[in-house]
Amino acid sequence: MPLRNTDTRWGGVAQTFHWLIAILILAQGAIGLTMVDLGMTPTKVKVFALHKSIGLTVLALALLRLAWRLTQRVPRDPPMPRWQHIAARVSHVLLYVLILALPLSGWLFNSAANFPLEWFGVVHVPSLTQGLDPTLKTWSLRAHVVLFWILIGALTVHVAAALWHHFVRRDDVLLRMLPDEGRKSRTGVLR
Amino acid sequence: MKRMAVAALMLALPFAAFAQQWKVDFAHSALTFTGTYQGERFEGRFKRFDAKIDYDPAQLASAKFDVTIDIASVDTANAERDQALPGKDFFDIAQFPRAHFVTTRFRKAANGEVVASGTLSLRGVAQPVTLAVKFSQAGNGATLDVDTTLKRLDFGIGSGDWADTSMIGNDVAVHGHLTLTR
Repeated sequence: MPLRNTDTRWGGVAQTFHWLIAILILAQGAIGLTMVDLGMTPTKVKVFALHKSIGLTVLALALLRLAWRLTQRVPRDPPMPRWQHIAARVSHVLLYVLILALPLSGWLFNSAANFPLEWFGVVHVPSLTQGLDPTLKTWSLRAHVVLFWILIGALTVHVAAALWHHFVRRDDVLLRMLPDEGRKSRTGVLR
Repeated sequence: MKRMAVAALMLALPFAAFAQQWKVDFAHSALTFTGTYQGERFEGRFKRFDAKIDYDPAQLASAKFDVTIDIASVDTANAERDQALPGKDFFDIAQFPRAHFVTTRFRKAANGEVVASGTLSLRGVAQPVTLAVKFSQAGNGATLDVDTTLKRLDFGIGSGDWADTSMIGNDVAVHGHLTLTR
């Protein structure tokens, strides 16, 4: 599989970014929803620290991914109605915005609440505020939660659309994001 | 003659005692501390404390500090931490609302710095503590800076599950800055 994108499929770099971020987002969602209900113990502190470290990782990967994407051609959409082209475009832009905005809002909340921030305990990550900021703390946490549920909605549409393309339309939209080199195209050429 | 000497002494003694008694200007004084949490330093302070300061650098033998700290007034600029600190795992203010420090002896070290020895009672534990004392007088006022480093675990602050010093450092540097007036 080529590293770069082609007209018919996503390259190895784009696929790695896609699936790595997908796994991290699922982990983040599960950790985030669980950790808020933990009692005040060192375990809670460690789980929060893990959530922050993974979130910063997603932010870094999302920036790299966006930079890579801007240097690459994008595989052509299969023939489909105009509204579906637009819907796909809008949902992809929205997903990019969300994978940047979610970690950023978390980082902002962490800063405004005056919590420490050490990436996996090794790299100190600076605060975005001058210490405690109670108003910003409240709003950034609300933003973080609202953005999370918007992400869940957008991901549901994204996954549903991929499965619809694969099982109903029976085109290459999902296949072109999968690594198998020997996979046969259903509608044309997968290179 | 003897009677006059006694009378002079009786007059002089109270003055000697009062001469070194200071009033603390609490608006311009602070009792702060620096700890580490998850590998990062954080600052805290006790917003309410009371201090009786008798101090004359020329008469260290009669110097005395007597400080009472309202532990509930702790503020570390982090709401979640400030909610946890008064709890049973940390300061346990329900049982130990106040800390008390009183000096027992002052001495001048070889390098000329003044060191105060005393006893700190904190969270039900009384431990000997030494303070580095810096005092500077200007006109009718003075500033007093004291420093020491405590080990939180000596006082059972954050014991049990929270004893892990890689998460919460054991050393806590304490600094007192007092503005004094006559």
